[in-house]
Amino acid sequence: MVEDQLIVNGQYNIGYICSTLQCLKGNSNKTAFRFISKDFQKKDYSFECLDINSNKIANVLKHLGVMKEDIVFTYLTKAPEQFFVFLGALKRQAIIGTLFSNFGDDALYDRLSDSRAKVVFTRTGLLKKILRVIGKLDRLKYIILTDSEDDVSDKILSLSKLMNSADEKYEVEITPPETPSVLHYTSGSTGKPKGVLHVHKSVLLQNRTSREILFLNERETYWCTADQGWVTGTSYGIIGPWSLGVTQIHFEGAFNQEAYFKILSDEKVTVWYTAPTLLRMLMNVDDDSYRKFDLSKLKYIFSVGEPLNPEIVNWSKRVLNKDVYDTWFQTETGSILIANRPGVAIKPGSMGKPVAGIEPRILSKIDHSVEKCGVVGYLCVKPGWDSMFINYINNKETYENKFKNGYYFTGDESKTDEDGYYWFAGRSDDIINTAGHLISPFEIESTLLELPEIAESAAIAVPDPVLFEAVVVYIRLKKFIDDLDEFKLKVRIYLSNKLSTIATPKEIIITETIPKNKSGKIMRRVLKALYLGHDAGDISTMEEL
Amino acid sequence: MEVMEKLTRIFCEVFDDDTIKIDVHSTANDVEGWDSLSHVNLIVSIEKRFKIKFETKELLTFKNVGDLRNSIEKKIKAS
Repeated sequence: MVEDQLIVNGQYNIGYICSTLQCLKGNSNKTAFRFISKDFQKKDYSFECLDINSNKIANVLKHLGVMKEDIVFTYLTKAPEQFFVFLGALKRQAIIGTLFSNFGDDALYDRLSDSRAKVVFTRTGLLKKILRVIGKLDRLKYIILTDSEDDVSDKILSLSKLMNSADEKYEVEITPPETPSVLHYTSGSTGKPKGVLHVHKSVLLQNRTSREILFLNERETYWCTADQGWVTGTSYGIIGPWSLGVTQIHFEGAFNQEAYFKILSDEKVTVWYTAPTLLRMLMNVDDDSYRKFDLSKLKYIFSVGEPLNPEIVNWSKRVLNKDVYDTWFQTETGSILIANRPGVAIKPGSMGKPVAGIEPRILSKIDHSVEKCGVVGYLCVKPGWDSMFINYINNKETYENKFKNGYYFTGDESKTDEDGYYWFAGRSDDIINTAGHLISPFEIESTLLELPEIAESAAIAVPDPVLFEAVVVYIRLKKFIDDLDEFKLKVRIYLSNKLSTIATPKEIIITETIPKNKSGKIMRRVLKALYLGHDAGDISTMEEL
Repeated sequence: MEVMEKLTRIFCEVFDDDTIKIDVHSTANDVEGWDSLSHVNLIVSIEKRFKIKFETKELLTFKNVGDLRNSIEKKIKAS
């Protein structure tokens, strides 16, 4: 498919392209996705079903008074409704945000309040977390329960009741390319999470990279393991593949080596997009345990979220007889910008080469000039790619600060080699990347301060053999605590429930002081050096140690 | 307090949900939010509250809450 067939009559609407257009192209009866439940019950949903259900959602939203650019969120575990709501909200030209189902009260509140969300779709089991913060969310008009047959109140409504009376037809207005579409929150090293806003024309690059990098076409069976709470789960678990009419597999269950290989084998998956953490967990299992699975249909494995260490590439080649292609992008870029891909020699450990038309540069850490080959600098990209974010909502200043000297600064550091491959070197800030999820140390520290025993704290990233990075927190107590083990357990559970399980620290260290510079900023690099037994470098600005 | 009753309280605390009901057949599929990281919290809590220790290998054999309870009961008797 080429782009002029993707955009018909100036219609850039992602919801329309991923469902209605696919039906118009003759894919009505084709399976859009096979949903596999935790207990391995399978149900197929056709593109026609996707179209009708997303139309009904658009009508539900219209009925509830949701207007263009109002913000609608899903807060769901993996479920068919996730996809209907995502596409339906986009058809309505509302902005759709997705929330990771393991977010706790604080993480939810930060995102729902900052975005001024109007509607949230969730499940009964997750409702309690929203109800704990709803008193502070005066813009939130409705909570829609996807698994309740009855309304709970005037504000907490049953989706099935709303769907029963919703029309199956919905006329999607012509949606210009710059219309706001998808909202994902991402962590920054300072301040609260930032709402990264995209526009409908992102589909152009999501479609193209799905074809040119992931090698997707209508004949493939594709499985993207990412949760829809994150950008990979929407860009490549919804938009890219369905804009191409590709059949997807979606699995409700959590990671499990046996289950994952059973799905790859039974469903004859041909293209698999997953994460290094997951591959590292598979690597830890006995090689022989894979032998009983038939992976002959699997052509390509792609990976995203954290650097793919060469050991994984080599393991996959040896045990699975498959290459693993690392891809790089971030919430702000909306699509893959740098990647390894079939047909281009893999250099194990490298990020690959730029996608056609994308112009990354390594800029000097000293004067932002273009850096020489082989020298680590800031990874930057010339603005203007189709899936580029258009703002951090309510935070224009931070958005504008990301663009300097005509380049978007990604926050990553990397280098190039003489063959034009890019090599990830680290972050230029304190963001923690654990299992492909970015966590802000500021968010962790703020949440810890809610505990009365804690005077101050600092969160750092440390290398981890499975997660890439793990969270370690240093805590200064207000007063002596007799049972420190009990206290540490309390801290673990508190962070897990208030923020997310991904914020759970690997280690909690009680300390007498938290190192800060003379303006009071926590010097996390000093703590990290101390933890790892490295030289702390220049500590002339430190106030205390 | 019965092991199962105490275990239920731990589940409620770890998963921040007072309404959780578990039985011997319960698995991670039945408890919202029971993922690999919260599982670590669960095991650490059980070890602390019951004053026992699990072997890593042993943890991999638990298929449901019943297996977990049986192991806890054995360890309590042995101590």
